[in-house]
Parts: sequence; structure tokens; C-alpha cells
Amino acid sequence: MTAAMPGFRLVTPRSLAEALAARAADPLARFLAGGTDLLPAMARGLVEPETLIDIGMIAELAGIAVDGDRLRIGAATTLARLQADALVARHAPVLASAAATVAGPQHRTAATVGGNLCLDTRCVFYNQSQWWRRANGFCLKREGTVCHVAPTGTRCHAAFSGDLAPAAMVLDASVEIAGPGGRRIAKLCELYRDDGAAPLCLGDEELLVALHVPAASGWIADYAKSRVRGAIDFPLAGVAVALRRSGDTLAGLRVALTGTGSRPFRLAGTDAEIGHGVDDAALERLDKLVQKQVSPMRSTMTPAHYRRRVAAALTRRLVRRLFAEAAQPPMRGGGATAPQSEMKP
Amino acid sequence: MTGSARDHAIGRRLPLIDGPEKVTGAARYTADIAAPDALVGRILRSPHAHAEIVEVDVAAARALPGVAAVVTGADCDQTYGVLPIAMNEYPLARGRVRYRGEPVAAVAAVDAATAERAIGLIRFTARELPAYFSADAARAPGATPLHAGSPNNIQREVHHEFGDVTAGFAAAKLVREATYRCAEVTHAHIEPHAALARWDGERGQLTLWTVSQVPYYVHLMLARCLGVAESRIRVVKPFVGGGFGARTETLNFELVAALLARAANGAVKVELSREETALTHRGRPETEVRLKLGMAENGRVTAAACEVVQRGGAYAGYGIVTVLYAGALLHAIYDIAAVRYDGYRVYTNTPPCGAMRGHGTVNVRHAFECLMDEMAEALGLDPFAVRRANLLAAPCTTPNGAIVNSCGLAECLDRVERASAWRERRRQPAPGRGLGMACSHYVSGAAKPVHWTGEPHAVVNLKLDFDGSVTLLTGAADIGQGSSTVLAQVAAEVLGIAVERIRVIANDSAVTPKDNGSYSSRVTFMVGNAALDAAQKLRRRLIEAAARLLDADPAIVECGDEVFRVPGGQHEGLAFDAVVRAALGEAGPITTSGSFTVPVAYQGGKQRGGAVGATMGYSYAAQVVEVAVDQETGAIAVERVWVAHDCGRALNPLSVEGQVQGSVWMGMGQALSEETRYEDGLPLAANLLDYRVPTIQESPPIDVQIVESVDPNGPFGAKEAGEGSLAGFMPALANAVADAIGVRFLELPITPDKVLEALAKRRRELRLAAARGAA
Amino acid sequence: MKSILRLVLNGRTREDAVSDRSTLLDYLRAVAGLTGTKQGCDGGECGACTVLLDDAPVLACLTLARRCEGKRVETIEGLAPGGRLSRLQRAFHERLGTQCGFCTPGMIMASEALLRRNRNPSDAAIRDALSGNLCRCTGYVKIIESVKTSAAAEP
Repeated sequence: MTAAMPGFRLVTPRSLAEALAARAADPLARFLAGGTDLLPAMARGLVEPETLIDIGMIAELAGIAVDGDRLRIGAATTLARLQADALVARHAPVLASAAATVAGPQHRTAATVGGNLCLDTRCVFYNQSQWWRRANGFCLKREGTVCHVAPTGTRCHAAFSGDLAPAAMVLDASVEIAGPGGRRIAKLCELYRDDGAAPLCLGDEELLVALHVPAASGWIADYAKSRVRGAIDFPLAGVAVALRRSGDTLAGLRVALTGTGSRPFRLAGTDAEIGHGVDDAALERLDKLVQKQVSPMRSTMTPAHYRRRVAAALTRRLVRRLFAEAAQPPMRGGGATAPQSEMKP
Repeated sequence: MTGSARDHAIGRRLPLIDGPEKVTGAARYTADIAAPDALVGRILRSPHAHAEIVEVDVAAARALPGVAAVVTGADCDQTYGVLPIAMNEYPLARGRVRYRGEPVAAVAAVDAATAERAIGLIRFTARELPAYFSADAARAPGATPLHAGSPNNIQREVHHEFGDVTAGFAAAKLVREATYRCAEVTHAHIEPHAALARWDGERGQLTLWTVSQVPYYVHLMLARCLGVAESRIRVVKPFVGGGFGARTETLNFELVAALLARAANGAVKVELSREETALTHRGRPETEVRLKLGMAENGRVTAAACEVVQRGGAYAGYGIVTVLYAGALLHAIYDIAAVRYDGYRVYTNTPPCGAMRGHGTVNVRHAFECLMDEMAEALGLDPFAVRRANLLAAPCTTPNGAIVNSCGLAECLDRVERASAWRERRRQPAPGRGLGMACSHYVSGAAKPVHWTGEPHAVVNLKLDFDGSVTLLTGAADIGQGSSTVLAQVAAEVLGIAVERIRVIANDSAVTPKDNGSYSSRVTFMVGNAALDAAQKLRRRLIEAAARLLDADPAIVECGDEVFRVPGGQHEGLAFDAVVRAALGEAGPITTSGSFTVPVAYQGGKQRGGAVGATMGYSYAAQVVEVAVDQETGAIAVERVWVAHDCGRALNPLSVEGQVQGSVWMGMGQALSEETRYEDGLPLAANLLDYRVPTIQESPPIDVQIVESVDPNGPFGAKEAGEGSLAGFMPALANAVADAIGVRFLELPITPDKVLEALAKRRRELRLAAARGAA
Repeated sequence: MKSILRLVLNGRTREDAVSDRSTLLDYLRAVAGLTGTKQGCDGGECGACTVLLDDAPVLACLTLARRCEGKRVETIEGLAPGGRLSRLQRAFHERLGTQCGFCTPGMIMASEALLRRNRNPSDAAIRDALSGNLCRCTGYVKIIESVKTSAAAEP
């Protein structure tokens, strides 16, 4: 049964310092960005914060700007803004194309970059009502001791299901994090760990402030998502690819995946393809790499083996397509696959 | 009366008469009804799939401040159910719980938070019993029976044989058998379930506002379960946000709301969550269809043998009817002389299934049309040719005793074959693309109602008053399908007046005549005929008054465009208002009552259960589906659908198109993405994320052709339009996929994982064959 | 905790005491009495509660009422101010873009958001804009027709 929204206090700080202070003052507080994931989770009793700290009014978390040789995207930037922003279109169109695949337009009006990067992991045994989870003996991710996906194991296999992370990873993006100890910058890949119950390497009192995307001249990138329906659904598998082409060979190749395990990750071993062309053998090698490194489990209605296969299939298809497009002169207007240009503030 | 050159109310693309309310937000659905004094009702649901109830301790809940009432199974010892012969469900469980989510207790409190806290304070103790989540497990030897009297957990077996099936197979050129599995699906109407109950303690009377498709059934079950005379109950159906069969049966929350209201001596609103709505689902059961067909060289079906097993869920509900329909609707679409049917409805520890759009026919039709297609291919015949080789010639009586008076299937086939450019396209196959087709049919109302009272099957009252307005009173539930609109059109057509002059009041038992409700596509045909009858009676009164004023013979007076005149006469005609004044002058406001009853001859064969599947008018449909299959991801895209539906005379072509599009599209959901699934009896997809109702993105254009095989008994020749084309979609899609990639899928839904799996399997087989060939 | 919420609802400035945990949907239905906005799911899955917040489509069930402070909120009830249907409403009515009507307010508000940005949307743009709104009756065919008809009509 869906419970009435539990009681909580809403505070609306105007500065980052105030927000961090509010968080430090209340161990049961949570930051609230777009709320599209947190509020339904609260209605299902998955999260029970006493205080919600609305970070929507903090200027420092907003805005998209070129800052030196990087693009800085405030964590509270909405996905709708990301889709429509001219700077993103010019410098990091793959982020816009990934954003466009998230849920539906109403979600994207509210949902934020930071929220999507920090999205809670999902599982059919977890994203259920309190009644349901109690009837099932709860689960390792919350209130229980067993992961129903792999009952003999010791860890939670809920799947990370954000679409932006892989797109940002292939751009070699970093995140700016603020906490009681000040600011730190981390590679986006380092934000995640392979544990569905605690998927983020982020301190309780830390807050994502911005995404930094470095200039990447000559790279071309895109994102492909597998889902049963054409909208609303979370990814069964999502693949981002960035590549650089030099003549008939690859000069650079980055692949990142989401939806196929408890964390989004950069595919290892793609450098071996540098200096080669993209032929059937190369695609077959990539296919094997993907199938080996993804770790989908029984956390969705759709079987895990499909998510593994389709992740590989999307990778093959995207690499093939981008390699072909990289041979063409750059398109005007900067579509999703247009090469990234130099940062020019 | 439809021959003159006046404006006609029927055949018009008339927007819904209650459309303005819907597009402005003014339409009030049950949850929207203002009741500031209403308590909030919440239901405690069983966490166990099958268990003996040891104790339901509500003391702490009752003691919680703000709690006005707590009810349990102890508060109602009466069963309820849609079929008088199979009522075995209690509003709140007694003795045993039989599925996870079954209501055990309920609370009414001052607000939601208090009600939920009280629910949390109820101690429910039970002793677990073995639980069965598949029909096979429940039927296995030694399984614990869910219900006394059903030792093998078989609620009903049906064995029907018509004609010489053995001889039919012997005469066939080709005999094939295949087993098809269709996942359980649910209605997923967008409006969650809700009910508002108000108990008048002073008078001992109840008023219930609810989301029902058949308020009459709710009325009967309220009286039974509350032990209150029917005369002390009033049931009102406000706007309803979709039904599709889910709300045909009385549902537990409706009775629970009433029990709570009486216990609290006030008003209680029960609004179910989406999850609870899914648990209270009464959907199309998981079904296994084993089908064997014999086919002659020319495509004639010489015999059919079909075994159906339905996982019915924990209670009887509509089960007997569903399993009978599945057999009966093997008939009346094609001319097949020899048909054997064996059906099994099985109790399992899952939420009870029931009626869903295309009740009973859908999964069997899927199997039939798929196997027909496969056999056509094997015999080198075109799929259209095979259907044409088996057409019925109406009028006729089928082997199981159904009468078919009108059948436009031949024209449906012609129309979609042309519209889809079938012949040209099938000659030019493109990799990964395919075209498939299938046919389907449905009843225009079940010929025999489940409550055999002897009363008319439908009654409509018309009231004409001093203001010149005509009020049409009906108990037929408009659930979005436009039934109120079509009734207004029928009455306006008969009376020769503007539709706008008619006001429809529907579904308030204090005002409107009893009606058997909106199920089995009965309203246009049956209630339409009752409206026709009522309007003819009113027309007679008006014509008599006009004839007196015109000093003419009533037999030659006509009314059209709201003017009464004698055709060819000198008089310019009389305005409607003038005639109304004259007609009312004698006896005041006029009320006429019209009725309709299906004659016994149409109520089916003599075999046991023979009434199910019988109707006065069968609708027919044919459709072509075009798909593109992505062989790397397994995704199936439906590019386009062409469908032709024979609905007899289309009283409102706009509505017919909308109904047919909605049916076809709902079939698409079942074919591609929809599936309830249970993990030890817990629903995995009790939400709209995992229960994948198609979004607008993957929904194709649907080209509708209306075929009008004017039926001799339908109102103005009309038959049903709202269900018949659903069942054709899934087989047409499966056949299109087979055309595209050469794989015939036996399981629904055909999800991308199944497609990839099948393609991988085929690659392995080809490699193996090649290796063998090389060796 | 309750505090005073000030917003412009369908063109009228309002002040109401709302609790921190009230969603915009709770506020619209229970406080403002505007029941045109519907709840169809347990949070963010169906689009039936779509309203406009400063012209952008949002899900009222996933928006805390207090976050609407100082903003313009528009619901289905605000589209026909003179008692006459807006052309979008008229198109949904006349083209049968509505059957049971339960998804209709959300569908119309999502369409309204689209048409304010794009007066002449392609089929693809209509599909994108309505991809978060589920309808169970129409198969969406006549919904797309309704939006196109409205876009084509003179203002």
C-alpha cells in the first residue's frame, strides 16, 4: 500500500554553506534536488528523512558555463535545460542526447544533473511498497539481510540506472564535491562503487556541486539506451561511446555502460583497439569485452542475459556508426554526434 | 424513418456528449467527490499467499485516537461474487487467506496517516499452507485444495465436442498441433479504484459512489454482504476512468467501504493505490492453449481440437464464464463443422482473474490465427486465401447452437488487404520487415444475463417535460466508451430531434432504471434497442398530438429536424415546442419506458454452459500489422496497423474508430510488453513502470475501416465495436514477426529478450546443420 | 510544519497554509479544490497529474507545494477562463482525443506546454512531448490528431 507522504521538514538554504550546515546539523536530513526519484522513494518508505534540504535555490549549483578548458555544469541544472542548452550542444552534445532518454518530459523539467548522477540503484525487490517488502522479508538494501536477486551472496545487486553517467564518463568528466572539509574534485568513475546498497563514494555530508567536462577536440560521442518502451523506462542497458578517428583507424575509444550492474563504469581494454580500424573482428572483440565486464543480475523484469547481450549489441552498433560518422566532415549545428569543439569561453 | 433528407443523429461523427466536462477538468470521478466529513479508509492486506487465519487482533488499532472503525472478516459472513452459482469470496478474509494482497481488515480514521498507523497496529497471525502459483502446481496430485469442493483445484472443466472431429482430422491434408502460452495481463485503467460510502444511521440507509461498470451488481452484493434490504441502498456511478472489464464484478473495496461506513456511522472514502488497484485486478488469466487443426489442401479447416488451461487465481469470480467463452468462441467466426474443446479453470494462490476486454476469446483466437498462418505457409497458401476458404455464410446456426445473422468478415478481409497493399508488399520482402494478418470476432452482449430474473435485459426511460427537454434515464455505465452518447443518438434519431435536446442521466439507482451494465459489449445493441423502444413510444405520443393539430392521420405525420409535418402537405409544419405543449396538455409530463430482451432462440445451444458465447449479433474484424524487427536488439517496432471492423451500422463512426483503435492498441500491449508476474505470489509489476502499458512513442498509426453489415436485430442495424478487434492484433503481430525473421513465437508477450534468444538459437541450429552438412 | 504558500494559480494570486510534506497535487486537489488534476499512480509513472509550473510541464505528484512559492501554476481548470473551451480543449473534444477522460487533463496540459514552445509541432515533437503521459483508451491515435488539429487551427 502506498503510504501517505511521511512527515518531514523542508528547509531552503540560499547558499552552499547554509546547505552543508543544515546537513551537518541533522543526520537524518537529505538533499532534495528535482525530487523525481526521492519523493516516490519516500512515499514507498524507502527513505525516511526528517529534513529535506532543498538545493534548488542555490546559485552556485545552477548554470552552465565554459570555465577555462572545461565546461562546468551546475549539479542543480535540470535535464530539460541540459537538452536545450547551446553550450552543451556545442561542447558535449552526448550529454543532451543521454538526458533526452530519461523518463518523460515532465520528469526532465524537474530532474537534475546531480540527481541523475547520484540516482539510487533500483531493483524489483526494492522499488516496492512497504507492504510488499515486508511480505517479502525486506532485503539487503533496506531493513533486511538477504538479497533476493542472489540470496546466497553477501551483497546487494540493485542496478544503477542513471543515463547521464556513462555519457559523462566517456567525456572523461569529473565531479566537484563540497563537504564539511571543503571542496574536492574526483573523476566521475570514482564516484561509484560496485555495491547496490551503497553505490556512491560520497560522504553523508557531502554534496555534488558541479560536473566538469574537459575539452576534447576531435572526439565524437553518443549514447544508446535499451528499454522495452520508447519512453518512461529506466535503461535495461545504456551505452555511451566516444571515439576519435585518424584516417582509417581509431585514435581513441572510450565506452561506458549503465544499467548493467550496481555501478556505471568505463569499459576496460578499449585502448587495444587504437591504431586499428573498426571491422567485424574489432566489433566482435568489443562485444566480448562488454559481455565479460557487465554484471547484470535478476534485478529487473527483463532477464539478465538479455541486458548483457543488448549492452554488447548497442556498443557494436554505436562504435560502428560513430566511426563511420567520424569520417564525414562535421555536421553544422552540433547534433548529438558532432565532434566536440575546443572550449572558447 | 431514416430515409428522408433531414439531419440524422445516427451515422454522425458526434463528439461525446460528456466531452466538455472531460477536457475542462469539470468531470467528477469518484475520488473527486467532495466529502469533507468523510473518514479515510485503509485496508490491511495479507502478506501470505495461502494460510489459515489464527488471529486478527485489532484492539490496539481500535484504541488509537482518531480511529472511527475497524472491520475484519468477523463483520461479514456473507460471500460475494459475480456469478450466483460461484460466490466464494468474502469482502474481508475469513478462515483462510488465499493470495498475497487479500484484504484482511480495514480501518476508517480521521486522516490517512492515522488510518495507516492503525493498520500497522493490527496483529495478523496466520499458519502458512502450501501455496501454488501456476496451474500445473495447483493441479498436481496431492496439492492442498484452496476451496472445499474443488479437490484438484479445478474450478470448472468443460468438455464440448461438436461434429466428427476424428473424421475431420482424417480428412485433412495437413494436421498440426502447437501449444501457445499467454502471460496474465491486466486492465491498467488509468483511474485507480475508489469508493465513497455514506451510511445514514438515522434511516439505516447506504449510498455508495463507485467506479463500477455494473452498479447493479454492486447494489446486489452490498445488500447481501451488509444484510440490508436493496431498497435501502443507493448506488451512484460518477465519471469512471476506464474499465475494460476490471469493474464488471463487484470488488472487495466497494464492500469494505460500505462495511466501514456502517461501522463508523458516517462517510468513508477508500482510494486504492496503484499497487492495490493492480492486486484487485480481475485480468486476463495466464493461459495455455494446446491447439490442433486439420486443413484441407485448399485451406478449409476440417477439424479443430483445443485444450485450454487458465490460471484463475484464488477465487471463482468470472472463471466459469471465462473458460466457457474460450470454447464457445472457437465457433461463429469460421465455418468449421468439427470442434472439440476441453477447458480447465484452475484455482491458484494469485489474485483472482476475471473479465478483460475480449473476455475469453483473446488467447484462444491468438493460438488459432497463429496456427492457421503457419499451416497456410506449409500448404503454400496466402493467409487471406485461408481465411476466405473458411468464411461463414450468414444467416446460419453454428454447431454449438449460436445464430449468426450478419457477417461482414469477407468485406473486412477485402478492405484491409487493399488498404495495406498486402499483395504488392508480400511480394517484395525486406530484411527484418514483415506483414502479418489475423481475424477476430466478438459478441454484442451476452444473450443470457448471469442473474436470470426474467426481467427485460435492458430498460430505458424517457421523460419529456414542460421545458421541451428530453431526459434519457439509463443504468448503462458510460466508462469512457461513449455509451451515453450513442443512446442519445438513438433516441434523437427516432424522435427527429437534435441530440443536444437530450440530456442523459446515467447510473444513479435512485433515479435510473436497473441495467445489467457495461460488459460483453452489450450496451449499443441491448440498451440501444431499449432506447429505441422508449423513443418510439414517446414519438407515438408526439405524432398523435401533432396529427390532431394538423388534422391529419397520425400514420402519415413525420418528424425531422424538430418539425412535425405531413410530407407533401400544405402546412409548413409544427415546431417541436408546440407539439410538446399539446402533448403535455392532456396528462402532464410524459414518461415512456422501453425495454429489450434477447429471445430464447438466441440464448445458445442445449449443452451445459451453452448460453455463454451466444449473442444476437457477432462483430467481425480483420487486421494487417506491419513490423520492423531489430535483429541486434530484438526490439519489435509496429510500424502500422490496418484494421477493418464490422460493427453493423456505425451509429457513431467517430466513436467506432476510437474503440477499434483502442482495442487494437490494447492487443499490442499484450503482444509486446504487458505482463503481470508474481514472485512467490507477490506481484512484481503492480505499478505502471514495470507493467508496461505502451507509451505514445511506440504506438503506431492505426488505420480503421468500418464495415457495415447491417444486422437485422441491432438498433438501426448496429453491433458491437469496442472489443472485437482486440484479439486479432497479437496473432497478426506474431505472424508479421514470422514473416520478418522466420521465427514463430509460441509465448506472449514477445519481448526483445525472447526475440534475441530465438535468433541466437536459430544461428546455433544453422551452424550445427552446416557442420553436419560439411561432415 | 505548515507555512504560508503564495503562488499564482490559474491567474489568481493565492495564499494558503500548506504543510512541508504537501505535494502540489495534494494542494491542488485538497486545498484549492481543483480536482481536474488526477492521480493515476503511486508516483511519477503515468503523467495524469501534469500541470504547468511557469509554463513548463511538471508532475504535481512529484512537486512539493512549497517549492511553487512565487511561481505560476496552471491546471486544466485554467484553460477555459471565459467558459469556452480553448482550441486545444475543443480539439480533444471534437477529435475524440478523450475517451474515459482520466488522463485527459494531464494530456492536455502536456500538449499545452508543447504548443506554447512550438506552434507547429511535427508528429515526432508531439510524441516526444506526450511520452510521459499514459492513456489506456485511445491508442494515442486521436490524441495526436487532436494536438495537430489544434496547432493547425487559427488562434
